[in-house]
Amino acid sequence: MNSLDPRVNRLPAIGQPGQILPKAALDQLGTFEVFVQPKDGKPFQHEGIVHAANRELAFVLAKEAFTRRFLCTSLFVADTRHVYVSPTTEGNTNAMDQLAEVINQPGTAEAYDIFVLPKRGKQHVHVGQVQAVLPQEAMWKAKQQNLHQGKVVYNVWAIRTADIRFTTEEEKDLWLTLPEKKFRDASDYKGGDKLKEFLERSKTT
Amino acid sequence: MYGGGNTFEGIKTDSVAQEDPAKLAEFEARIARGEKIEPTDWMPQLYRKQLIRMIEQHAHSEIIGALPEGTWITRAPGFRRKMALMAKVQDEVGHAQLLYSAAETLGKSREKMIEDLLSGKSKYSNIFNYPTFTWADCCFISWLVDAGAIVNQLANAKGSYGPYCRALDRICAEESFHLKYGHHCVIYLASGTAKQRQMFQDAINRWWAPMMHFFGPSDKISAHTEVLMRWKVKMATNDDMRNQFLDMYVPKIWELGFTIPDPNLKKNAETGKWAYTEPDWEEFKRVINGDGPCNKERLEVRRVAEERGKWVREALKSPKTAYVTPLA
Repeated sequence: MNSLDPRVNRLPAIGQPGQILPKAALDQLGTFEVFVQPKDGKPFQHEGIVHAANRELAFVLAKEAFTRRFLCTSLFVADTRHVYVSPTTEGNTNAMDQLAEVINQPGTAEAYDIFVLPKRGKQHVHVGQVQAVLPQEAMWKAKQQNLHQGKVVYNVWAIRTADIRFTTEEEKDLWLTLPEKKFRDASDYKGGDKLKEFLERSKTT
Repeated sequence: MYGGGNTFEGIKTDSVAQEDPAKLAEFEARIARGEKIEPTDWMPQLYRKQLIRMIEQHAHSEIIGALPEGTWITRAPGFRRKMALMAKVQDEVGHAQLLYSAAETLGKSREKMIEDLLSGKSKYSNIFNYPTFTWADCCFISWLVDAGAIVNQLANAKGSYGPYCRALDRICAEESFHLKYGHHCVIYLASGTAKQRQMFQDAINRWWAPMMHFFGPSDKISAHTEVLMRWKVKMATNDDMRNQFLDMYVPKIWELGFTIPDPNLKKNAETGKWAYTEPDWEEFKRVINGDGPCNKERLEVRRVAEERGKWVREALKSPKTAYVTPLA
């Protein structure tokens, strides 16, 4: 290539220039849902998605993708396939009211984390944990326990707690250096004084 | 940064007539009420198709847009500027990831989108097909191309598709750093030596035409987008976005004592509209169709990156994970 950038000119010749081969089926990697806690005491909320080969890598990528700046005290990830999703509602219809009654399932109860969508277009927010055998039962219990505090919610997610990769106590210092990274922040680029001085100078010349 | 000027050329609205009228009415009523559409909702085929196209183009623009600036990281003047530029370029690539995920909720996989980018089937913002000769070109992008992007993105963040709005809220928050950083760089050039000032003036002269192209073809010649406006896919016309950009940034450029290479550029005090020389839309078409100064290089850099990363992706493959459409 004949680029202005010498590093581009040094790129190794791989494959045929301009030739694109179809991707292998599993080249996609898996998808993981990411949840972030902005401050201590605040609920976790859904922040987005990462593509990764496994849960550990998803956790590392999520840290880079979603917590490079702004406050963060903790995050967790779960495989998209492990998120059980209720139907989505609109208007005044509460998604909690659309859930089927599932109780007394045979088996051992486990912890499930419950998330609700408080407004269409906003993020799913963590509202609490219940003990259940099935995710459907977990949702029903969330409704019985009024985890949504009587508010209209538009969608409910349930994830088995054992399927979530949480931030460990030792890992929480991952975000301690955020306040030092002022160079990522708009407030570090105050040009007002220099501009004023320049304008004053321009007036007099 | 954002791929302005979604052209939506030649959209066919015929498919809308074939949609279930009751579902369509419900869908339109929801949008009219100001409620967002979520991925599992019913939506017309045309809505899905145009959103995928728009969000995908936006994502490609982020990832390709990182290249003309990324090339300046090693040559940015001083550690402070290098750190900032690295952070900015990382943001742009991060934005692409957010956007690819938002588009994926509509049913097209990220890998398919990247394949379409590399094959030339999907487009990205035209402006990134121009070269950054000097540090001042890089500053022009950081300040003014990002400013144009923010005008577009703030409008689109009020659109109707939930996952796209969520991604844009996050992106806009990060863009405020890009804009302030870019302006900071330009103030330093403007208040520097005569040579520094000349460098930025030359950059304006080079980039003004692509900047005017950035918002897409004039409303007079662009395709009929009434249905997309009603569905809140497109939130303002290309000319309105361009006018808003001129209104906010031309005074700031003039304030620094620079000139803009358009003798007809002038604001009509009564209408609030800016008059300007109509950009060369033939050049716009030519460049978008692959014949710009850097089209080949941009795609080749991506293609080689993709090829070089292949062994890593293969090494990571695990039967335990599987690609599924993300949730929100």
